[in-house]
Amino acid sequence: MSELCWASMADLGRMIATKQVSPVEVVRAHLDRIAAHDGKLRAFITVCADAALESARAAEAELMAGRPVGPLHGVPWAPKDLYLTKGVRTSGGSKILADSVPTADATVVARLASAGAIMLGKLNMHEFAYGPEGINAHYGDARNPWSADAHRIAGGSSSGSGAAVAAGLAPGSLGSDTGGSIRIPASLCGITGLKPTYGRASRAGVLPLAWSMDHVGPMTRSARDCALMLGAIAGYDPADPTTSVLPVPDYGAALTGDLKGLRVGLLRAHFTDVAAPEVKTAVETAAKQLERAGAVVDEVNLTQVTHVATASAAIVASEALAYHAAWMRSRPQDYQPDVRERLRLGAFVNGAHYVRSQQVRALVAREVDEVLARRDVLLSPATPLAAPVLGERETTLGDGPADVRAALLRCTRPFNFSGHPACAAPCGFTTSGLPIGLQIVGRPFDEATVLRVVDAYQRMTDWHTRRPAAA
Amino acid sequence: MLARMEISVEMLKRTAALGGFDWSDAELEPIRPAVERLLEALERLEALPLGDVEPTTQYRVI
Repeated sequence: MSELCWASMADLGRMIATKQVSPVEVVRAHLDRIAAHDGKLRAFITVCADAALESARAAEAELMAGRPVGPLHGVPWAPKDLYLTKGVRTSGGSKILADSVPTADATVVARLASAGAIMLGKLNMHEFAYGPEGINAHYGDARNPWSADAHRIAGGSSSGSGAAVAAGLAPGSLGSDTGGSIRIPASLCGITGLKPTYGRASRAGVLPLAWSMDHVGPMTRSARDCALMLGAIAGYDPADPTTSVLPVPDYGAALTGDLKGLRVGLLRAHFTDVAAPEVKTAVETAAKQLERAGAVVDEVNLTQVTHVATASAAIVASEALAYHAAWMRSRPQDYQPDVRERLRLGAFVNGAHYVRSQQVRALVAREVDEVLARRDVLLSPATPLAAPVLGERETTLGDGPADVRAALLRCTRPFNFSGHPACAAPCGFTTSGLPIGLQIVGRPFDEATVLRVVDAYQRMTDWHTRRPAAA
Repeated sequence: MLARMEISVEMLKRTAALGGFDWSDAELEPIRPAVERLLEALERLEALPLGDVEPTTQYRVI
């Protein structure tokens, strides 16, 4: 199988721009790999082979005509199937939208297309993004490439994105993250996933789960590629009133490898109390590596995050039911059972509950801001456990049984709540060969520092370069 | 205190109907324990000192 499928987006872009490789060759290599492996992995809902090859030929023609091209020209990628794509079905992983073909692209899809990136297809996901396991009753469950035969979950809701990028079916993806749906599959699949600050990247043309908690962001195999994708998609969009007018920095230029004097808060208590011992050790080891590179590490607690699960559940259930109300009246049988049950919960959260939950949110955001006033970034596990087996609802964590769903969301959801940027990246493997993920959290709109830390860590380690045997 | 009330399927049915949802007993019974747990947890938020905290809806839009 072609080594092109394991090249970074940055390298592919460079090789294409210097005519060392043709975009057609790159796209064909990925399509061949999808054909060979996706029957087992079920990462894709739709593959756009003909359109991708046509775009690749057009990209090649532009190059041969001597037109100037950017760093993503001719580079393949694939979005989670909740990004509207002109002329290409956008199912949201659902039966309800199984025949929905948008007439326009989501803003961020259009921005990547303008940058010359080539869409390979649309990726699997938890139905309507409402679940951290990444299961899908309609299109099949995306499998974790690190243990495809054991049927472990890829994590969700951006499960196809996690599986595809980890298995070399696509070098990059856009996921969405309402409680951890970029960072959870990144953690379980051993890739790098960035949830930017709320307002950094446009959600226009992205099917919502919960408007006030939804974030869109890149999923790749390195911080450098996340920087490349974020640079292309970030920035104000009049179609999304929550986007910021703050200028978009050069994220690639921020990747200096320098950590001297960087202040890192190692999150304890809620973030490590129930973490599996292997996860805790891997994250502590990562903290020591950052320290050896010149960072100053101290331990910190966020006391208010214990309220996040309740308040977040109330907000997401309310907003999700608001979006789905008409279908929940007319077509409830067309939802997969777990999603239907979660949506029904929204009918029992009243207005006072919702507002109280948003007050808790302000409290949590304030506390995160306070600890970041004295530190540059925070460090924690991305998930307190490695990939669970498909269908496993309860596991053992800490001193007792733990609900798998709640455990998956435990470390990521606080930063959807607070809106701070957070990146998950691999920091080790369990003895059974499953990836372990760390999480780096930064100040609002300081994705550059978050990516700098992850990139510096990836210069010191090789976890992110490992390839799953199952793929 | 709602949290200490036992929530019946009939109560759920009436509440859902107010929102325009015509869900059957069989559809509501499986979620009854989850509704009870969520409402109990939401009641605990009442104990937090949130009196003058402005609710966040959208933020960090600079």
